[in-house]
Amino acid sequence: MKKLPCISILLLTGILAGCLLADLFIPYDPTYMSLTEISQAPSSVHLFGTDTLGRDLFSVIWYGGRISLIIGLLATLITTVIAVIYGTISGLASERIDNLMMRFTEMLLSIPGILLVIFLQAIWGEASVWSIAVVIGLTGWMAIAKMVRSEVRQLRSSGFVLAARTMGGGFFYILWTHLLPNFMSAIMFMIVTNIGSAITMEATLSFLGAGLPADIISWGSLLSLSQRAMLTGCWWMLIIPGLFLIVTLICITEIGEYLRTRNRRDRLM
Amino acid sequence: MQEAPTETTKVSTSLRELQEISFSERAAEGALIFVVIFLLPGRSKEHFMSGINPKVLTIYLVKKAGQLILSLFVLSLMVFFIARIAPGDPLRAYYGEAVERMSQVQLEAAEERLGLNDSLITQYVHWGQQALQGDFGISYQYKQPVTQVIGQVWSNTASLVAASFAAIFLLGLLLAVFCVRHEGKWPDRLICRLGVAANSIPEFFVGLILILIFSVSFNLLPQSGANSLGGGGFGDHLLHLILPTAAIVISHLWYCAYLMRNRLSDEVAKEYVLLCKVKGLTERQTIYKHCLKNIMPSVMNIMVIFLPHLLGGAYVVEMVFAYPGLGKLGVDSAQYHDYNMLMVICLLTGAIVIVANLAAQVIHETLDPQSREERGQML
Repeated sequence: MKKLPCISILLLTGILAGCLLADLFIPYDPTYMSLTEISQAPSSVHLFGTDTLGRDLFSVIWYGGRISLIIGLLATLITTVIAVIYGTISGLASERIDNLMMRFTEMLLSIPGILLVIFLQAIWGEASVWSIAVVIGLTGWMAIAKMVRSEVRQLRSSGFVLAARTMGGGFFYILWTHLLPNFMSAIMFMIVTNIGSAITMEATLSFLGAGLPADIISWGSLLSLSQRAMLTGCWWMLIIPGLFLIVTLICITEIGEYLRTRNRRDRLM
Repeated sequence: MQEAPTETTKVSTSLRELQEISFSERAAEGALIFVVIFLLPGRSKEHFMSGINPKVLTIYLVKKAGQLILSLFVLSLMVFFIARIAPGDPLRAYYGEAVERMSQVQLEAAEERLGLNDSLITQYVHWGQQALQGDFGISYQYKQPVTQVIGQVWSNTASLVAASFAAIFLLGLLLAVFCVRHEGKWPDRLICRLGVAANSIPEFFVGLILILIFSVSFNLLPQSGANSLGGGGFGDHLLHLILPTAAIVISHLWYCAYLMRNRLSDEVAKEYVLLCKVKGLTERQTIYKHCLKNIMPSVMNIMVIFLPHLLGGAYVVEMVFAYPGLGKLGVDSAQYHDYNMLMVICLLTGAIVIVANLAAQVIHETLDPQSREERGQML
C-alpha cells in the first residue's frame, strides 16, 4: 500500500490553478509578439526570457498549459467512452464475436500509436485543438478496452447482472448501473495515465510539426520552436517549457501509480 | 549400509560440479545472459520435434499461417480505407500547383491515370493485386516507387531499432536482477522512482536534452544524420547511432525493466529457490542459472509487447536527430499528403509487429504447452 502522493497532487493542483487563472497574473499578452525583444535570456523584465517570436515565455507557458491540459482531458474522455463501450460489448458478446473484437484491438495495437496519430491527423487536414484531441482519443482506447473486457467477463455471470438481464435491462442500463461502478476502480489508473500519454502525444505531434501550428500556444508547439533555438544556445526555450511538461507528466504518472497499487487487480498482466 | 556412502559421494560430486560451474559464472556474469538466450532455441527445437506428430504439427503451422494472412489482410484493408477517405488532394500532392492551371479534361485524365475515379472496393482489389506483386504504387512526393524510396532508408531504421532493442533487453535484465536482489531496500526504491520519472518524459525531449549536452555544449557527438556528409564508414555510422539509441533507451528502458523486475521477483519467491539455497548456491548463482532461464518465455513476451512502443519511439527520435529512416519518411509524407508512402510505412510496421507477435507465440507455446490452453480460454 502506497502513501498518498501529496507532493504530486500539490504540484499538479498548482499547475492546474496557474493555467486556469493565468489571466490574473501574467504580465504580458501571450499572443503579443514583440519584434524588438526576440530570444532574450531570462531577466527581471522577462522572468523566463522570450522566445524566437518575441513572446514572453512566462506568460506563454501558463497560457499554453491550458491547451495541453484540455487536449489531454478531452482525448482521455473520448478514449474512455470508446474503450468502455467497446470493452463491454466484447465482454458481453458470444465467444466468437468477442474473439474477433479482441483480434481487432490486437491488430490496432500492432501499429505504433504515434504513427496512427500522424496518419489520421494528416488525413484530417488542418490541425486544431479539437481535431488533435479526437485523433489522439481515437487511437488510444485499445489497452483500456482490453482491461474493461476482462473485468466484464468476470462480472457478466454474477447474480445482479443476470437478474438485471432477465428483467429486460438494456445494454446501457446494465453498463451504467451495474458494470461501470464495479470496474471503474480497476480502470481508473489507466484513465489517469492516459491523460499523461495524451499530453505527451500532443507535445510530440506538435513538435514534429504535424500538430498545432506555432500560433496556437501549447507546450508542444512551444517546444517545436526550441530545437532550432537550442542550437544557437538559447537553452531556456527548451528547458523551461520542457520542465513544466515533465513535472506535469511525472505528477500524473505518480497519481496513476498510486491508484494502481491501491487495487492490485492488475497483477494478472 | 552400503548405499549411504555412494549417495553422499554423488551429492558431493554434484555439489563440486555446481561449484565449478559457479566459478566460471562469476567470471562472466553478463555473458551468461547470452548463454541463456542461446540455450532457448536449442531447447525448444528438441521439445518441438520429439513430442508432437507431424500431422498435428502441420495443422498447427497452417493455422498459424492462416492467422498471419488474415491479420495482414485486415490490416491492409483498414489502412487502405483510412487513406482513401482522406479529403486531402492526392492530385495536388502529385502535380503541385499545376493542378490549378489544369482544365477539367486534364484533371479527369489525371484522376483516371492515378485510379482515383473507381469505387473504393475496385481500388482496393486493384491495389491489392499490385501489392502482392511487390508494387505498392508511386510516392506522390518523390515521384518514385514507394518500395524504392523505402529501400534506400529502411536499413538505417533497422540498425537503430536493433541497437536499442539489444541494449534495452540486456540493460533491462541486468536492472531487473539488480532490483530484485535489493528488493524493498533503497537502491531498488530509488531505481523504481527514477525509472517511473524517466519513463514519463517524452522521447523527443530526451533527445533534445542529449543534443544540448553532448553536441551543443561539449561537441562530442554528431547531432544529426545517419552518416557524415560525403558518407563515412561503419564506424561513422556507429558514432551517429549513439545519441538516438541513448534517447530511446533512456525513455523506454523502464517499461521493460519494470515488467521483468516484477516477473523475476515472483520467480524468486518460488520454492525451488529455497532448494538452491539449501544446496549452497549463492543468490547470484540461483538467479543467473535458474531463475533467468525460467522467466525467459515471459521476458520474450514482454519484449514483443514492447516492440510497437519501440518502433514508435524510434520514429520520433529519428525526427529529432534528422536521422534518415522510416519515421522521418513517414512524418515528411504526412506533411505532403503522400498517402501511398504513409500507408506502406503503417503496413510495414504493423506487419513486423504481427509477425514478431506470432513468432513469439509459437516459441512460447512450444516451450510451455500449457499456455496454449490458457490462451484459448482467455480469448
